[in-house]
Amino acid sequence: MSPLIGILQRIPAVVGFEWRRALTVSRMTWMVALMAFPPGLLMLVRMAEQNEPPVEVVAILVFILSPCVVCILGVFLWATPALSSELEGRSWVYLAVRPYGPIAVLLGKYIVAVSWTIPVGLVSSVLAVLVFMSQDTMKLLVAECGLVVLSCMAYSALFLLIGVVAPKKSMVAGIVYTIVFEVAFALIPAAVNMLTVQYRLRCLLVRWMGFDNNLVKDNPVILAYFGNESAMWHVGVLFGMTAFYLIAAAVVLRYREFTSSLETES
Amino acid sequence: MLLELQNVTRLYGTVIGVNDITLSLATGAHGLLGPNGAGKTTLLNLITGQLSPTIGSVRVLGMNSRTNPDLMKRFGYLPSSEGMYADVSAIEWVTYLTRIQGFNRPDAKRLALQALERVELTEHMHRNISTYSRGMRQRTRLAQAIAHEPELLILDEPFSGLDPVARHSMTELLDGWIKEGRSLIIASHVLHEIESLTKSFLLLGNGRLLASGSTNDMNELLADIPSEIRIRVNAPRDLAAELLNAGIVDSVRVSKDGELHITTTASLDVGRFLVKSAAGDRYVLSEVHATDDSMQSVFNSLMKIHRGAV
Repeated sequence: MSPLIGILQRIPAVVGFEWRRALTVSRMTWMVALMAFPPGLLMLVRMAEQNEPPVEVVAILVFILSPCVVCILGVFLWATPALSSELEGRSWVYLAVRPYGPIAVLLGKYIVAVSWTIPVGLVSSVLAVLVFMSQDTMKLLVAECGLVVLSCMAYSALFLLIGVVAPKKSMVAGIVYTIVFEVAFALIPAAVNMLTVQYRLRCLLVRWMGFDNNLVKDNPVILAYFGNESAMWHVGVLFGMTAFYLIAAAVVLRYREFTSSLETES
Repeated sequence: MLLELQNVTRLYGTVIGVNDITLSLATGAHGLLGPNGAGKTTLLNLITGQLSPTIGSVRVLGMNSRTNPDLMKRFGYLPSSEGMYADVSAIEWVTYLTRIQGFNRPDAKRLALQALERVELTEHMHRNISTYSRGMRQRTRLAQAIAHEPELLILDEPFSGLDPVARHSMTELLDGWIKEGRSLIIASHVLHEIESLTKSFLLLGNGRLLASGSTNDMNELLADIPSEIRIRVNAPRDLAAELLNAGIVDSVRVSKDGELHITTTASLDVGRFLVKSAAGDRYVLSEVHATDDSMQSVFNSLMKIHRGAV
């Protein structure tokens, strides 16, 4: 049996098991709270603002709240502690001595993180967009929903990698990385922001909504923020980044030694 | 060959986990003995492929042990730490792990049920593990190790924390496992826990293999090692002098509270001497206690031999 088939055979078991464990009152409450957060906030904005805001403003607000905050928070809490929770609970050893167990568990947990967060992000995006009904509602819905899916996929893989690289301080490392790279560096109008997921998502929002028609395309700062590549290019890069993060996490997991005790981890 | 270790050393930074171990084990049951910190768990981590040796090679069932899927299909492992999910039932957990072992859902469920029946947990298998007693949790952990019917079972301190009834039940189960012709490697720091299961022992101390062989081999090895005996007697100094004169003790010492401590390689002669003394009128023996009946002292003695101090 090839390793790939061995891994793929075992992933459904992990997904099913982890999903059943996730169906708890606290998890569901957290899910509903995350879903309600963007539309709730925008409802307050709507009540305070008498005039209809331009579609650009609505698009950016929904983008920040749903594909960014909700999706990042959702996958962060699922994917980052994927390994550390097993190590701390000393349950890792039972998985580590199974054929292809560690990588199957890692990828299974990735799928759970994505499949748990995407519905949350989609519902929150749809409700948030519907708070400000306009002539571009359908276009905005499609764009935001597409961004939710891509955001969950890419960030989940990124946090999984961070969790595998720094299992002892996975949550702290995840927060620091997000603030430094996905917030601070992503806002720097320089080549470095092209390495962030945030940049790709931002560019896609602009492309899919057709906002780039109104941008000054020869302005270097605008170019650094929104690029001039096609939407397909950004989607391809996001898929590439996701694949890279997942493969890197699997390689680290394959070659690094994690014993049942963190104290003796090499 | 069940196990082949060639000059295996494992370092954790500057700390030595196991130190230059070379051994070969044929299929069958083997006990891995040593006090806490002797390197038993590190050795088992090397055997199960969770760790790779810093120096040397480890081969289990003829295969390289490090993250080898083909080998992992052939052994079951019960680690010393509990590490079970509290929010799932025994049947869910064992089925899950058996599926990760590579079985499809129906087969994994069937094997999990068989394993739980074997460890006599069928009645409680639908309850959450958090509600289990220590013995039930241990049986659940054993079930996950045997569910996929491996040819080699590796157990790290399986009797730890069990009450006598649970120990007896576990011993019977493992005895049945061995009688089926399967192999077993069982690590413990208590000799009597495993001497009813196997006559082949490996003794580890400070990361080194101090001795290996059968119970008789161990007895022969330990025959010349002085054992310590504590005696409470009405005239300890007089008795000490008589023992020295008789030439059957290596050293004598009287503690501050009047207790006589002797070391001897002729325990039987000392015993006869004490019985004769007690039968007379001069000495009133109130307590005779052999302090060297613990594994720790056996290992201390073996370490002395290893350093050339004995």
